[in-house]
Amino acid sequence: MNPEGLQVSTPKDTTIVLTRTFNAARRLVWTAMLTPDRMRRWMLPPPGWSMTVCECEPCVGGALRLVWKSEEADPAGVLYGVFTEAVLHERIVHTETMLLGSGQPIGSLVEAHEFAEKGGVTTMRITQTYASKEARDGALASGQDQGMEAGFKQLDAWLEEEEVRT
Amino acid sequence: MVSDRSQTLDLIFHALAHPARRAIIRQLSGGERNLSELASPLRMTFPAATKHVRVLERAHLVRRRVAGREHRCRLRAAPLKEAMLWTEQFRRNWEARFEALDSLLEEMKSEEQSRSRRR
Repeated sequence: MNPEGLQVSTPKDTTIVLTRTFNAARRLVWTAMLTPDRMRRWMLPPPGWSMTVCECEPCVGGALRLVWKSEEADPAGVLYGVFTEAVLHERIVHTETMLLGSGQPIGSLVEAHEFAEKGGVTTMRITQTYASKEARDGALASGQDQGMEAGFKQLDAWLEEEEVRT
Repeated sequence: MVSDRSQTLDLIFHALAHPARRAIIRQLSGGERNLSELASPLRMTFPAATKHVRVLERAHLVRRRVAGREHRCRLRAAPLKEAMLWTEQFRRNWEARFEALDSLLEEMKSEEQSRSRRR
């Protein structure tokens, strides 16, 4: 495993911790993570979605608002929150609630970003805290659904090939 | 069914949550060991090592058999693999974003360099 790749751990029942190093100064990582025109570049949307609104004011009381549309719905998804703590280039905490376009809530969490720089390399630690263990497990498993979906598609393709052959 | 699986995963994650137990798993990935072989490099007492091995056994990560006076421990990889796969897609989704961030940061770095050169 690449030691610089993303590490995911679950130190408590309600948290997910993501740790990743970047080959850049922490003020650059901070800017890339928290400036709307930069965020659009790395916040890859779910397949078939595109981002229509990206607002982010990384200061205490500042708002976070992201909106996506899909071919079927506009908005397809909304994420909003408020920054509750901010120490420039060091640590920032925000609340976050995700809704489907219909208004159906998907989940809420508190997310803390911490940036530490050493020799031009920045280690970013994201701690996501969920309301319950169930909510945390749901968030971890949500990725799994997509993985399974991809797995099923592969299976479908394989079965079709088999059918053609026989 | 879902709750069975979730309980199994709870046991596995609980078992993996302790650094001593992760160290035991690392040792066992090199092959079968007896309890005192596991305890000594970790500077652990025999009862403490026994306690950790029991937690690993309960999560079905380790199988222990008694051979004479020795307790031989062996790693069972299948549940570990399941637990890893469970979070693997979550990890991959975020890693894809961070790889995009890597290339964005490279761009930002060269932007800065060319700006300072112009000055």
